[in-house]
Amino acid sequence: MSTLLFIVFAGMAIGCAIAMVSQTNPLYSAISLIGVFISLASIYVTLAAPFIAAVQVIVYAGAIMVLVIFVIMLLNVEHAEPRRRRLKFLVPLAVGMAGILLAETAFILYSVQSTPDRLAGNISNVGLTRSIGVGLFTGYLLPFEVTSVLLLMAIVGAMSLARRSTVLSSNARVVPGVQVLAMDIVNPRAVGDLRPVQTETTAEAAHLLGVDFQTDQNQPE
Amino acid sequence: MGPQLSWYLALSAILFTIGAVGVIIKRNVIAMFMCIELMLNAVNLTFVAFSSYFQDVTGQLFVFIVMTVAAAEAAVGLGIIIAIFRNRETLDVDDASIMKL
Repeated sequence: MSTLLFIVFAGMAIGCAIAMVSQTNPLYSAISLIGVFISLASIYVTLAAPFIAAVQVIVYAGAIMVLVIFVIMLLNVEHAEPRRRRLKFLVPLAVGMAGILLAETAFILYSVQSTPDRLAGNISNVGLTRSIGVGLFTGYLLPFEVTSVLLLMAIVGAMSLARRSTVLSSNARVVPGVQVLAMDIVNPRAVGDLRPVQTETTAEAAHLLGVDFQTDQNQPE
Repeated sequence: MGPQLSWYLALSAILFTIGAVGVIIKRNVIAMFMCIELMLNAVNLTFVAFSSYFQDVTGQLFVFIVMTVAAAEAAVGLGIIIAIFRNRETLDVDDASIMKL
C-alpha cells in the first residue's frame, strides 16, 4: 500500500516538475510547481512527518506561490522572445552541463542501491508537532532566533527594493506658483512626450515625480 | 515491504536535477526562481527521508528552517525582480547582465 502511494506521488512530482520546466508560460509553470509541492507534502505524510507536510502546504503552496503568481500577474509577462544571436553559443554548453548533471543523478541512483532497509519500522513521535517544538525551542533555539532576524531583514530588504527609486537632484526646486512640466520629465518612459503637466506646489510636483519631499529646511543646499 | 530509503533519495536526486536543468535552460527570471524553489524542495525531501530513517527529529527542524529561508528568499527575490523589470522593461536574464540597476 505504502509502495503504491509512493509510486503515485513520486510520479506526480516528477511529471509536474518536467511540466514546469517545459512550459513557456510562467503562470502554467507556477501551477505545475504547486502540483510538485502538493505531491511532496503527500510524500511527507507517508514518511510520518505530518507537521512538515502541513507547513509545506501552508508556506510553499500557500504563501510563496501566491507571491510568485502575484508578481507574474503584476508584471504581465508575454511569451519569451527568440534568443538573440550573440548568446547562441551557450546552448551546447547548457546541454553539456545538463548531461553532466544527469550522469551524476544516474551515479546517485546506482550508488544508493546498497543502503540497508530500516525505514520507519516502529511507531514513534518524531514527526509530531510536539517533538518539533521541543527541538526548536531547546537544542536549536539559536538558529530559530537567527531566523527571526533573517525574516526582519527580508521585510526591510523587500520594501526598500520594491520602492520607486526615482531621485530628484538636490538642486531641483520648484518655485511657488503654477508650474508646467513636460510629460517626459515626470515619466522617464514617455520619451519625447511634451504634453504639459501642471502643478501648483513643490509637494505636488514631488508627488508627481514619485519622490519623497522633505518639508524641513535643514537639508543641505 | 514498503518503500526504501534509496527510493526517496532517488526521487530527490531526480527532482534536483530537473530543477538544475531548468535554471540552466530558462531565461525568464521568474521561471529560474521557481526552479530554485524546486531544488530546495528536493533537498527538503532528503532531510525528511533521513529524519524518518534515523528516527531523529533534527532533519525536520532543518526543513523548517529551510522553508523560512525560502520564504525570505521569495520576498527579497521577487522585490529584485520587480526592480529589474521597472528599470529594464524585461525579465530576460541576458538583458540584466550588469550589477547596476
